[in-house]
Amino acid sequence: MAKLILLWLKCVVLWAIVEAVFEDQVGKFDWRQQYVGKVRFSHFDTHVQSSKKVLVATERNVFAALNTRTGELFWRHVDKTGSEGNIDALLQHGQDAVLVVGNGRLLRSWEINVGGLNWEVVLDSGSFQSACLVGQQDMVKHVAVLKKTAISVHYLSNGHQKWIENLPETETVDYQAVYSDGNGEVYVLGVVPHSHIAIVVYSMEDGEIIKQVNMSVEAPWLYNIQASCVVVGQGMLTCVDSAGVSFYMLDLHLQLQMTQVPLQSLALEVDPGFHPVLLSHQPNPARQPLSEFFLQLGPDHYQLLQLNNGQIAAMRDFKPSGFFGKQCYKIILEIQVKIVNLFSAETGRRLLDTTLINLRKFNSVFQLYVQAFLKKDDSVGYRAMVQTEDHTLTFIQQPGRVMWTREEALSDVVTMEMVDLPLTGTQAELEGEFGKKADGLMSMVMKRLSSQLILLQAWIGHLWKLFYDARKPRSQVKNDVTIENLSRDEFNLQKMMVMVTASGKLFGIDSKTGGILWRHYLHNVPPNAAFKLMVQRTTAHFPHPPQCTLLIKDKDTGLGTLHVFNPIFGKKSHVTPPALPQPILQSLMLPLMDQDYAKVLLLVDDQYKVSAFPSTKNVLQQLQEMAASIFFYLVDSSQGRLSGYRLRTDLSTEQIWEVIIPPEVQKIVSVKGKRPNEHVHSQGRVMGDRSVLYKYLNPNLLAVVTESTDLHQERSFIGILLIDGVTGRIIHEAIQRKARGPVHVVHSENWVVYEYWSTKSRRNEFSVIELYEGMELYNSTVFSSLDRPHAPQVLQQSYIFPSSISTMEATLTEKGITSRHLLIGLPSGGILSLPKMFLDPRRPEIVSEQSREENLIPYAPELLIRTEWFINYNQTVSRVRGIYTAPSGLESTCLVVAYGLDIYQTRVYPSKQFDVLKDDYDYMLISSVLFALFFATMISKRLAEVKLLNRAWR
Amino acid sequence: MLQRERIPLQLIFLQAALVVAWCFTDVETGPGAGVSTQPNGDRFKIEGRAIVPGIKTQDWVSTARVLVEGEEYVGFLRTDGSFAVNDVPSGSYVVEVVTPTYRFEPVRVDITTKGKMRARLVNYIKTSEVIRQPYPLQIRASGPHSYFMKRETWGWTDFLMNPMKDVYSTKKMMLVMMMVLPLLIIVLLPKVVNTNDPEMRKEMEQSMNMLNPNPELPDVSELMTKLFSGSKGSSKAGSSSKGTRPAAKRR
Repeated sequence: MAKLILLWLKCVVLWAIVEAVFEDQVGKFDWRQQYVGKVRFSHFDTHVQSSKKVLVATERNVFAALNTRTGELFWRHVDKTGSEGNIDALLQHGQDAVLVVGNGRLLRSWEINVGGLNWEVVLDSGSFQSACLVGQQDMVKHVAVLKKTAISVHYLSNGHQKWIENLPETETVDYQAVYSDGNGEVYVLGVVPHSHIAIVVYSMEDGEIIKQVNMSVEAPWLYNIQASCVVVGQGMLTCVDSAGVSFYMLDLHLQLQMTQVPLQSLALEVDPGFHPVLLSHQPNPARQPLSEFFLQLGPDHYQLLQLNNGQIAAMRDFKPSGFFGKQCYKIILEIQVKIVNLFSAETGRRLLDTTLINLRKFNSVFQLYVQAFLKKDDSVGYRAMVQTEDHTLTFIQQPGRVMWTREEALSDVVTMEMVDLPLTGTQAELEGEFGKKADGLMSMVMKRLSSQLILLQAWIGHLWKLFYDARKPRSQVKNDVTIENLSRDEFNLQKMMVMVTASGKLFGIDSKTGGILWRHYLHNVPPNAAFKLMVQRTTAHFPHPPQCTLLIKDKDTGLGTLHVFNPIFGKKSHVTPPALPQPILQSLMLPLMDQDYAKVLLLVDDQYKVSAFPSTKNVLQQLQEMAASIFFYLVDSSQGRLSGYRLRTDLSTEQIWEVIIPPEVQKIVSVKGKRPNEHVHSQGRVMGDRSVLYKYLNPNLLAVVTESTDLHQERSFIGILLIDGVTGRIIHEAIQRKARGPVHVVHSENWVVYEYWSTKSRRNEFSVIELYEGMELYNSTVFSSLDRPHAPQVLQQSYIFPSSISTMEATLTEKGITSRHLLIGLPSGGILSLPKMFLDPRRPEIVSEQSREENLIPYAPELLIRTEWFINYNQTVSRVRGIYTAPSGLESTCLVVAYGLDIYQTRVYPSKQFDVLKDDYDYMLISSVLFALFFATMISKRLAEVKLLNRAWR
Repeated sequence: MLQRERIPLQLIFLQAALVVAWCFTDVETGPGAGVSTQPNGDRFKIEGRAIVPGIKTQDWVSTARVLVEGEEYVGFLRTDGSFAVNDVPSGSYVVEVVTPTYRFEPVRVDITTKGKMRARLVNYIKTSEVIRQPYPLQIRASGPHSYFMKRETWGWTDFLMNPMKDVYSTKKMMLVMMMVLPLLIIVLLPKVVNTNDPEMRKEMEQSMNMLNPNPELPDVSELMTKLFSGSKGSSKAGSSSKGTRPAAKRR
């Protein structure tokens, strides 16, 4: 046995070194989907008639150009996360797109054809208010940026500042908007809350104040210009007051007095409780806005109005059962449930009706981007991009055809699980045969025969299909995967990926093709919710449907809700989850099952009371029996408290241990246990002298990572504690001085690997801790935390890693025979597959005969990043947030999903494909050898016979 | 990696202790340290240019990013390949140009509190070693990334020219040997050597065992090999026994 392991290890060494992707495997079993996130600003590229681009700037700090025909990305620029990369404004002129980034910190101009940067300038500090393009004599050459205290104007061509002026009286006036209509003046609009409007007019040429109006224009009802005012027609500032229910108009050129027009005089009525909103459109920054504008009176009620010689006239009421309207040039587009209508904005006349075809049900629309254009025959055409509440982008083109949809919710996957696909009808039939008993011999035989017949039939059908498809050209063969024809493949390589996104939309994705098979939008998910997805019942328990449970917890209140669904079809289960009136502290899945094979989920509330789901009598009885051996732990990072509890038979709990980590010195960053579905094949490692070093395989071990609160680079440290989750015994403690986070940890088998930033040497370092029982095993049959008198041997080694990392995970296989690799997500977008062999604390400094026998690699301080080890070759994954690994039916194969802004799915073979023929297996050679051998034996036999005969004659 | 020079631990400590002092003294006196163009409070700008020889910038800039110390600061490339990362406080940073297609070497940039800059080669082991690089940075791609492994193609020429190149070709060669050797053994051996000699027979058996590669590998192709070698072994045994019997009779 020992020899076998050794031999096998040897092979692993050889294999691991050469492990990489072959070029012809590209796209064979991997796929990538790129996302941009929820759209905040969008512009159609209109400067060339035939352009196929639509620009999007998103809440995930991404600026990208999408192809309007296919929905794919032309290019994408991913900025820093957080407020520093936040996109405040997007302005487009010609082939330049100007972005204000990071609360007015940076001004960037992009060349939209290539996707390269034109220029980037740093603006003076001050919080950003508004930005606009400034035109003069029909030429747009400048961009104006309004900050809280200053206004600056920059050249569009190179970003240089033309002038910057401090705004007057910034202590009292809150400047909020900037406007220009091409007459060489820039209007800055401000408000003194509950008092009056302030207007400063600057000259475009040199930034001189031409006119300043303060105090005279009374507007005590106004506090937010951007929300309630627009400029319409020839510089008419039009505001709507929701409390007074009237319009206020002010001519920006004269600035005399606000004229009030009650909404009632126009026979308009605002929906109760709705804050009316005005929408206007300025097609060209060098010209004045259109004199037609919208007043939104209710959630889906719009009124088209026209300003004519200072008089407002109502033109058309849009109050269908419909959705949303938007003005573009002189065209109005109205999207109803299934109809898109075009109206002339000047007359309100209906120009065009189109019906939407093949559209899935819209969730409520909240953003609509429209491009209308004149076609060659002078008829109008339109293109529209609709963003709905669930972050779906739908692109509609005349005549009402949905060109593409993008599920941008997938740019923010929070957690996921992979679920085995169900068996097909025939497979299930076969399985069902074994389930029933006592049918009598004859009927059993008949049943067996009939099911075999069905299998034969299916096989013949399959062969026929293969033959039929083979005749068609390859491009025409489509294997459309739908929910109906989903079935498990022979090696269980194809699975259902259940993905939970931050927006509360759930997806079911086929892992083979990446096709979205189902989607389910959960309404009323709090914006800062934490999610935990659990598989309660797998597909193995036919006819019971598989069952997943999603625990949604509001981070502020701690209140949770449960969503129970079928992971294959996405449908909500008929099982009603219990209501959770108390905040939830901890949830745990037990290996116990109820009579319907659903695993038991325990929820611990803030009164330390435990509730079970499902909570049938059967379950409660099992729980009572098992209570003495059910332990769980709670982490309170704000108080630095780790505590362990035991379940009592009456489902109350008792505390059995507590570890306090003083929160003023260090804080708990993460607590990692082992994965429950992990298998370890070999109990020990064979040493060079043929003795065995046994691993310390404690399934209850927790790795607790702490960071110091003192962030000074001399005094900061990180700590790692290995605690037994049942007894609270501290197995090991290590401190890394002059180090700080972020710390990434992987805890598996008998090892913990963590990565941190060394402030002393300014580099990232990996450290590995391995635990061994020693040369003898205390109790080889079962591990009990309560009965392990000997402390394990601890080995540790550290290495330099030449890059920072985004996330880390270990591969996982069915039986744990295959060697392990670490999958490391890098900021560059690569996912590195690093053999665990390189992170082995037994790597010797000096090579000896024994270490060579053991195949230990001599210690080298630096780990290398080889691009051959990137499992995703050039398919980079931006902002990797998590890597999910799942075992497949093949021991050699591990399924990997990396998610972040993008989603990437592939398979890895940490010890190469030892259980299947490789795809470069040389069938030709082997068969030629076979035939040659066959003929050689034939010939030699014949020759031998002849020889014998000849000898006999002699 | 194995060839990399290893430094005694004490030396690292010693050097690391010197890092801080060294950095500051050296930066001030360093010849190429230019003053940052836009001192913005205590924030500075890292400037440079990335070049991919022989490739137009339009073809690769849209997929490129400049990462400073992981993703702590991010910059983008202009259409001419130059870049500037704004808003970086003083410190020491590793600056990297990242594209999916081309490989650029990272550079360490040190910025003093006064905004003096210098660039040097990244050395994670001897962190204080200074090998100067030009500043503003000039980063030249050292070629495309190699992500893929070459498929082992096998031809008759390989067999003749370089039969023991690696594990794979060796494996294949064995198959061929298996095919050719028996023939040779059957046809030539009885003529050349006296097969009745027990010592000779032993030697032969040994040589056959040698042909049989690692019997316990969990690899299908290996299993096949074993299978074949087994069947061939028996056939050989059969034929050789056939060959020897008449010889025995003759005696």
